[in-house]
Amino acid sequence: MSLLQVRGVTRRFGGLVAVDAVSFDVHEGQIKAVIGPNGAGKSTLFNVMTAFDRPNDGSVLFDGAEVIGRRPHLVVRSGMARTFQNTQLFEDMTAHENVMAGAHAVTKTGFLAAALRLPWTVREERDVAEEAGRLLRLVGLGEWAETPAADMPHGLRRLLEIARALAARPRVLLLDEPAAGLNTAETASLAEALYRIRDAGTTIVVVEHDMGLVMEVSDEIVVLDRGCKIAEGPPRLIQKDPAVVAAYLGEEEADEL
Amino acid sequence: MLGRPDIRLVVIVAVALVAVFALPMLTSERYLLRVFTFVGVNVIIITGMALLFGYAGQVSLGHAAFYGIGAYASAFAVINLGWPWPAGVALAIVLTAAGGFLLALPSLRLKGHYLAMATLGFGEIMKVAFVEARPVTGGPDGLSGIPYPAIGPFEFDTAGLAYWLVWGVAAVALLLAYNVVRSRAGRAMRALHGSELGATACGIDITGIKVRVFVISASLAGLAGALYAHVVGFVSPSTFSLHVSVLLVAMAVLGGTGSLAGPVIATVLLTLIPYSDAVIPGLSRSALETIQEWQEDIYGLTIIAVMLFVPGGIGSLIRRMAPGRGEAR
Amino acid sequence: MGGVELLQFALAGLKNGAIYALVALGFTLVYAATGAINFAQGEFYMLGGMLSVWAYAGLGLPLPVAGLVGVALTAVVGGVFEFLAVRPRKDGDLLAIIIITVGGSMVLSSAARHLFGPLEKALPAFSGTGTVSIFGAVLEIQSLWILGLTTLAVLALWYLYNRTSLGRAMRACAVNRDAARLVGIDPRKIVTVSFVLAAALGALAGLAVTPLTQTAFDVGPSVGIKGFAAAILGGLGNPIAAVAGGIVLGMLESLSIAFISSTYKDAIALVVLLGVLFWRPQGIFGASRREKV
Repeated sequence: MSLLQVRGVTRRFGGLVAVDAVSFDVHEGQIKAVIGPNGAGKSTLFNVMTAFDRPNDGSVLFDGAEVIGRRPHLVVRSGMARTFQNTQLFEDMTAHENVMAGAHAVTKTGFLAAALRLPWTVREERDVAEEAGRLLRLVGLGEWAETPAADMPHGLRRLLEIARALAARPRVLLLDEPAAGLNTAETASLAEALYRIRDAGTTIVVVEHDMGLVMEVSDEIVVLDRGCKIAEGPPRLIQKDPAVVAAYLGEEEADEL
Repeated sequence: MLGRPDIRLVVIVAVALVAVFALPMLTSERYLLRVFTFVGVNVIIITGMALLFGYAGQVSLGHAAFYGIGAYASAFAVINLGWPWPAGVALAIVLTAAGGFLLALPSLRLKGHYLAMATLGFGEIMKVAFVEARPVTGGPDGLSGIPYPAIGPFEFDTAGLAYWLVWGVAAVALLLAYNVVRSRAGRAMRALHGSELGATACGIDITGIKVRVFVISASLAGLAGALYAHVVGFVSPSTFSLHVSVLLVAMAVLGGTGSLAGPVIATVLLTLIPYSDAVIPGLSRSALETIQEWQEDIYGLTIIAVMLFVPGGIGSLIRRMAPGRGEAR
Repeated sequence: MGGVELLQFALAGLKNGAIYALVALGFTLVYAATGAINFAQGEFYMLGGMLSVWAYAGLGLPLPVAGLVGVALTAVVGGVFEFLAVRPRKDGDLLAIIIITVGGSMVLSSAARHLFGPLEKALPAFSGTGTVSIFGAVLEIQSLWILGLTTLAVLALWYLYNRTSLGRAMRACAVNRDAARLVGIDPRKIVTVSFVLAAALGALAGLAVTPLTQTAFDVGPSVGIKGFAAAILGGLGNPIAAVAGGIVLGMLESLSIAFISSTYKDAIALVVLLGVLFWRPQGIFGASRREKV
């Protein structure tokens, strides 16, 4: 059985159908990409899959359990971590603290235990600090640990958000347009980080506008256009798919106008 | 963060502790001790407000009501029910925690700052209740003859002992709060203040954390009330007015975000304003009256000025003086 | 309880509800422009009464002129407050704006105490202290003034919103500030206008009610809470619903006095506020909607 099953997800905003009966599977250990031109409904679908938004219809099963209708922080705790298209970092906190906050889902210290500084909370804190340092190095941010998030360059902020999501030890990591605003070198190091994460056993779903990164890293691609799935398959087939070419060409023509 | 205490911080805290606890041995002036006891009571309340406002980014305009509930509950339990004082304190804490929970749960489930308005409303209701519930509160005249705090046979029956009791409790409250802010729970508060979406994506139950912080801050106000009533020996509704709630907001705002030391400093400064004569020798009576006449303007303008010119309050100034060594780091 | 008595309470509820509606409209306007709750809204109500009393008793102006002066001065105060205290906070941070209005509320009520003293103030009724009988229930003529002025204010606001370019700009800003900026609307101007209008509406309520209940420097917060509860009840951000919310709240309060007691009638607003937030945060007249990420 696949790790993540999206079944007939439909999301309407007023009269607009942003996502129209979309279904696909994500298998364990895959890097799966969801692509499509602007306004294809990628981010809406992404928010539905992570329980940050509710669809009008359809179902999302994660490891066999329904995601829709659950409170999003509980979905995170069940093993689904995400990033945001507009990074949602904790600007006043250092990179290291940001990643430590990401470990919230897999740690226990509450107010009372913390106030009393119980011995196990001290151990837990030490472990979280070490793990956060390791994750920062994994995404190549070891040097930035003590820098407040607000002072970090744009490209590195995206990597920091990925490290923070990994701190929740997710089984599946969902990335919302991780390459947006990155230059070529940054995109390359992002791709490397994705391979390392996948090889460490985390399934990855990437929602992406940019074709370059997706064609390189993903095992399988789902293509959306105007809310509908128009193609699904490995990158080399998707590249040649006439419907996909038409959808992206249409966008280029629109851009030229 | 990793258990390496900053030596400068340790020295400053140690000096402050010695200075605070030595005061009754340096002066025998009862008025001065009284005023600083009152400062200590406010420090207990502000410890909770610092967590609520400075870390979790929530505003309460009703903390005077929790302060009052704590005061009346403990006084009533000791006078009318014959309970020992510690039991009165426990009642104060339980009642204010329960009240805080009932108020916070609906108000904090949503985005937006509904808590501020709900607490303002709660404060206004309690203002009426303190006057109307005569059998418990003594009505507009209040309750007098409240016995001194006592633990077993030991009574805190002098100005010096009362001062030590209050500041002892304040020091413990601050220590516990300090442990919280540099823990997972403290990070969760700062995280949801920074970005609610980001915090949710970390698996943080933002409503749960906000409700917990509010309950903690409400019960600290209740605890402060239970100390105040017995130390002063008299309570009346005017001590728990909206004016006091706004004063507490002014302290929290001036104290700033992400800091405990800032709010404590702000509390000392703002609490002393109406008692300037205790710390400025030879202050004329008319000058004092002028200060008291304008104190609400001072609070209001302080709030506005801080939000416009130093949004991080005193806390951010402290962090600037010790770069990379913020107390929450 | 007989029908006449019930009607009596209903009329009182309608009158109070009209006042809450005006204050609620003030909250709604500022919320639409800034996304923030304006805690100084109750002080505008207070100033409307106090400044009118000052213009009438202090300056000796005829009552209608004094009322106009009171409302106009309060509107100016609203605009100046926005310009001096809200606008300089350029990032528009909601928490900051809310706290600024809390500080402003303190300063405004304290200023009123410095200027006019701590005592309660009264105005004569606009057209005599007589009453009219409606199916046996008695209503002060001043209450008719309150209902009439509220209706006029709501109609004027409706006209502004739907028939003028300023109103269209305000609605555009409420939907999307950035988009509004793109079509040449200055959102800062809209925020100032909203504060001016909110102040005028609050002041009108304060003016209309002062002949019946008197006023004082410290009446702001409790009316503010009721106006806000009314706005929430209707669904924050919708002017028509805010008016309906005000009327419903006034009625609920009146019924609670009739059937329970008058001591804790002020608690109704808080119960309504918490209840709506808990069960129906979009208000009783608002359509269900969800936050978009």
